[in-house]
Amino acid sequence: MEIDQTVALLKRSMPFQTVPNDVLEAIAKLARYESYARGDVIYHQGDFADDVYIVSSGAVQHTLGIGFQAIHPEKILHSGDVFGWAAVLENQRSRLAKTVCLERTELIRINGEELINLFKASPETGDIVMSRFATMINKEYTLPEEVAGHVPHFTQVPVTVATGLTLTMFRLSQWLKSPKPYLMLTGFGILLATWYFTVEVWKLPRFVDMPGLTEVFKEWFSKDPIYGLSIYTPEYYQHIWVSVRRILIAFFLATVLGVPLGLFLGWSKTFREYVFPVFETLRPIPILAWVPLAILMFQGSETPVIFLTFLASFYATALNTMLGVETIDESYSRAAACLGASKWQTFKEVIVPGAMPFIFTGLQISIGVAWFSLVAGEMVSGEFGLGYVINTSYTMVRYPTIVIGMITLGIVGYVSSALVRVAGDYMMQWRVRELALGGR
Amino acid sequence: MNIKRFRKELFSRSKLRAIIAIFVFLALWELGSRSNEWFGFTPPWIGHVPAPTAVLVAWYALLGDPGYWQSWYLSTLRVLAGFFAAMLIGIPLGLFMAVNKTFNGIVFPAFEILRPIPPLAWVPASIIFWPTQELSIAFVTFLGAFYTIVINVVGGAKSIDVRFFQSAQSMGSSQWDVFRRVVLPATLPSIVVGSAVGMGITWEVVVAAEMISGGGGGETGSGGGLGFFIWNSYVGGSYEQIVVGMISIGIAGFICSELLRKLGSFFTPWLKKR
Repeated sequence: MEIDQTVALLKRSMPFQTVPNDVLEAIAKLARYESYARGDVIYHQGDFADDVYIVSSGAVQHTLGIGFQAIHPEKILHSGDVFGWAAVLENQRSRLAKTVCLERTELIRINGEELINLFKASPETGDIVMSRFATMINKEYTLPEEVAGHVPHFTQVPVTVATGLTLTMFRLSQWLKSPKPYLMLTGFGILLATWYFTVEVWKLPRFVDMPGLTEVFKEWFSKDPIYGLSIYTPEYYQHIWVSVRRILIAFFLATVLGVPLGLFLGWSKTFREYVFPVFETLRPIPILAWVPLAILMFQGSETPVIFLTFLASFYATALNTMLGVETIDESYSRAAACLGASKWQTFKEVIVPGAMPFIFTGLQISIGVAWFSLVAGEMVSGEFGLGYVINTSYTMVRYPTIVIGMITLGIVGYVSSALVRVAGDYMMQWRVRELALGGR
Repeated sequence: MNIKRFRKELFSRSKLRAIIAIFVFLALWELGSRSNEWFGFTPPWIGHVPAPTAVLVAWYALLGDPGYWQSWYLSTLRVLAGFFAAMLIGIPLGLFMAVNKTFNGIVFPAFEILRPIPPLAWVPASIIFWPTQELSIAFVTFLGAFYTIVINVVGGAKSIDVRFFQSAQSMGSSQWDVFRRVVLPATLPSIVVGSAVGMGITWEVVVAAEMISGGGGGETGSGGGLGFFIWNSYVGGSYEQIVVGMISIGIAGFICSELLRKLGSFFTPWLKKR
């Protein structure tokens, strides 16, 4: 392989990305080029670790051995990915993983010792590369810090494991090189341009009544808004806060009541046979049809809105939790019972963790429908809140404020779903780690 | 023999329990609502809800009322209009997004930033935009189903195994063949699921849209529909009719979803065998 091509490949890989060109060329001279057929094993766990590998084309399956406490022991490597890093670790001269080619694969291999020797000549570059190796091992291969701690360093300054920032920057730069961001911008551009041109430039028949792009944004960011609502007015934040507070109360109640109900519905057959039919009879009634009844039942303007929001979330949470319990393999409960677990212990140790993934799916749906019915509730009744802003702006003919309300609603709604998703992923990570360690 | 099985089915333990549960529920409801006239004590919440027997009486009186059936007709019409428009635009758009990467890259992010805005937040904007109230309600209904259908179609088409494409291409099928024999059958189940969910959302949205545009706009009589019927009953103080309206919408939504499910399993017969 040509030196230039090797340099280009090295530049695409995470550890070598920032290395100056002259050092890269020296590294490229160490590289040897190899190709493997589908199904070939490059090395087994425990083999002597001599070389570092970089995938040029194809795909390699990388399976870390049990006992290294990786969170995700399996990983598929593609062009630009680096593996076989055990060869540059200190006090680690055997392979930690088994690697198999999934298709015809071409790669370059670099002798670990020669690489280390080369870095001894340029220690600053070496330290950067090695700290990026450590980050990669930690984040990409999800190995705990002890393994990454074996990465050697060359200058007197002690090397610390780089934060995730390096990796984020790397991913960002990769993303910027793909067509995705530019297509995305084109999409947004077309959307905004359509809005701008149809309403404010061409003044097409029906469109001319709509609030225009510049009108809305001027109003939104104006210090002295014509219709009294912009990012500088305290009312704006008061409306957001009122809506968010309603969502928080309703979501909290729905989770606290819905999850246990769902768990019991799935767990006890008798309980389900008595309760579920009532649940199912009430469910086809749309949440929004409850509005007048809710106003009758709960006097005042605040409780009906919260009740509607709660009801929507409650159905989603309870149903998904029940579904989660039903999908748990019966043999887990039987095994627990065989080992002498009491009913309560089975519930605590088998049912609850087993239903977790479904509970979180349910919570994600639940936050979505909560916003959906909150808006309806606020539009029909209630004082303050974003739905109320949208509706009153319509009746008071403050058209730009309608759009400000809609956009704000979209942003707040998106952020809240993202928060639930992140929280779910965080909890699931614990679960995935447990699954991965389960084989030990 | 058949009758025996039917009786066994009817009087199975779970059916019996379901019937008991619903009767207990209705009895508690009746007790709660009537407790004011019977015991002179109004329990919180349930005390303000009309009793089931009163609801039945009100319902019976409404059965001969053409205005009531007119509401059914109008709501169903709006749901169907919005729903079919969503299918007609959503399915081709979703399929095209799944097939063409560049198109997907342009449209999907824009689609994603519009999606978190709840359909009902569009009601005022849509009233301003569309010339008639009918069209604006249909548009909001359309939005409700549209997002769900598109997301489901894209998800379904993206989860197709690449090997299916490769094998079809290696056996010399044209672009159209790949679409007709691979993409379409593989996405049909998710189209069915998306439509069923979308249908549920459509009923939710239509009710609210009718309430908001009827209740807020004050154009009495012109709106119609079951959502308007409920709102009108509330404003007019005939509280039994609110519950009648709620149950009617529940029944209508249930029938629509069941029909759609039947239709879906007719189009995807291979799923039944599993």
